[in-house]
Amino acid sequence: MTAVPRDLRGRDRPDRAMATLAAVGGAYRSLARRPGRAPTPVDRTLHLRVAERVVVADGVVALRLAAPDGRPLPVWQPGCHLDVGLPSGRRRQYALTGDPADRRGYRVAVRAVPGGSGSAEMHALAVGDAVAVRGPRNAFPFVVRPRMLFVAGGIGITPIAPMVRAAARLGVDWRLVYTGRTRASMPFLDVLRSPRVAVRPDDEFGTPTDLLATALAGAAVYACGPPPMLDALRADLPASRATALHVERFSPPPVVGGRPFRLVLARSGVTLDVPADRTVLDVVREVRPDVSYSCRQGFCGTCRIGDTLICTDRAAGDRLVLDL
Amino acid sequence: MTTLEDPADLVLVARDVRFDWADLPMHWLPGEPVGTHVLNVLHLLLPAGERFFVDLFTQALPRIADPDLLEQVRGFIGQEAMHAGAHDEVLEVMRAHGVDPRPYTDQVEWIFDRLLGDGTEAFFVERLAIVAAVEHLTSVLGDWVLHADALDGAHPVMLDLLRWHGAEEVEHRCVAFDTLTHFDDSYLRRARAMVLVAPVLTWLWCRGALFLTAADPACPRRAHLVDWARLAWAGVVPNPLRLGAQVAKWFRPGYHPSQDGSTAAAVRYLATSPAANR
Repeated sequence: MTAVPRDLRGRDRPDRAMATLAAVGGAYRSLARRPGRAPTPVDRTLHLRVAERVVVADGVVALRLAAPDGRPLPVWQPGCHLDVGLPSGRRRQYALTGDPADRRGYRVAVRAVPGGSGSAEMHALAVGDAVAVRGPRNAFPFVVRPRMLFVAGGIGITPIAPMVRAAARLGVDWRLVYTGRTRASMPFLDVLRSPRVAVRPDDEFGTPTDLLATALAGAAVYACGPPPMLDALRADLPASRATALHVERFSPPPVVGGRPFRLVLARSGVTLDVPADRTVLDVVREVRPDVSYSCRQGFCGTCRIGDTLICTDRAAGDRLVLDL
Repeated sequence: MTTLEDPADLVLVARDVRFDWADLPMHWLPGEPVGTHVLNVLHLLLPAGERFFVDLFTQALPRIADPDLLEQVRGFIGQEAMHAGAHDEVLEVMRAHGVDPRPYTDQVEWIFDRLLGDGTEAFFVERLAIVAAVEHLTSVLGDWVLHADALDGAHPVMLDLLRWHGAEEVEHRCVAFDTLTHFDDSYLRRARAMVLVAPVLTWLWCRGALFLTAADPACPRRAHLVDWARLAWAGVVPNPLRLGAQVAKWFRPGYHPSQDGSTAAAVRYLATSPAANR
């Protein structure tokens, strides 16, 4: 045991309370004799099949996924998503958009994005195809409030629809503002018929500007849609009658405008290539799977090596050296 | 109005909070310098502990054999790192006001670095149990601070820090417990950890309050044990009896942190927190 720290009140002697604590700590340490066990591996994969495939709007396909033997699936709450393993090995998250009371199927809806590899693979799935998923997990927790305003932009309606249904069932004083490019591109319009719903396609109403105008005093806003819409909501919230803004916690954005460079791990003498569209962290993880990281957006600091936040920092020139 | 079940299966993600301390007064609980310092002890006590959690759980990560738990621990580490950073900022403000917290924080760092530092494999799991016990206390405190209306008059930025931190403690209250049981589900081990943690932290908290009220030249007098009763009565610190009852739940066989605390309350606060919604 190293030297006990100095007295708390500045007297010239080791701190007596800390010395006592050191003795307690030593005794406690001697009690801890039994090691833990090797953790039992847990497989969280659900092996499902496409049970139904429906085109629900222009460019939007809804899939119902069910267990091959029809057994009940794990429960979920509005706001939950599935982590879907695609045939190519890519993983994509899709919000659950069905009825949580339907325990035998998960419903997701996917818009075909031009150049979107994940959405293309989802659209290519046919009834009977096997899909391995993980989840449901909740990055958009739904908490019922007396007054709620839902704002959905395009395919952002997917997590919002189950929330709206739950709010309606629970007697919430709710409103929904649903925007999109055109009516034909907006799924679920048929099931969202209510005087509380304002459908605002851009080709009829122009780009929406006052999404919070219908918010009741003290309303909680739940919003899902393209990032510019969410930024606008965030900016407009303080001047509105709404008091809280709930949005989905997104995974980090892809690398945009990066340049490729060489990465040198000084201590292990390894040299790696970091491509333009990948982070240092992605590349380091392949050789050091236990490297520390968390937020992947450059603020939490847990991935810091020297002065480099490896989740976001890139080489200033064509080479980056890490003390690893 | 009926309600839904408390939100579950949450994806844990660190929030990129920022606090503007420019106009934080020394005594941010108006008219209550002693009360301010009783709560200020948290800023001195927590960062060293949180960094200890980050290091320990980073060591645990490669050994976790459950992909869902792995993701939660990943998020937990980021949240704890942000908590430590935020409390450190307050220590800077205290220094600027002429109160040097270092004699106390040096001791806390010594406790986590040396007394609870590296050891055998058995002690690795024991340290997970210690963190799980501390996290039980912080989630109880988090639940308290989210509902402590008497704090509403405190300086808004400090109140936001305390409630953002409290809400994330409630949000991730199961992670350390689930990690411990992933490695060892011994009742004895977790009970033993709390027998150590609860008295030591209580004592460190009292000691910190005495230290800070003595170190602050603008504080009229030192804290006294009756201050705890007085401040608890006013609702600006947790009621020790209620705190004791919450802590005692830990010793129930079959206890799981999901049985206590309200994720909904945490989610509600986080959607209004100025620091978390810039």
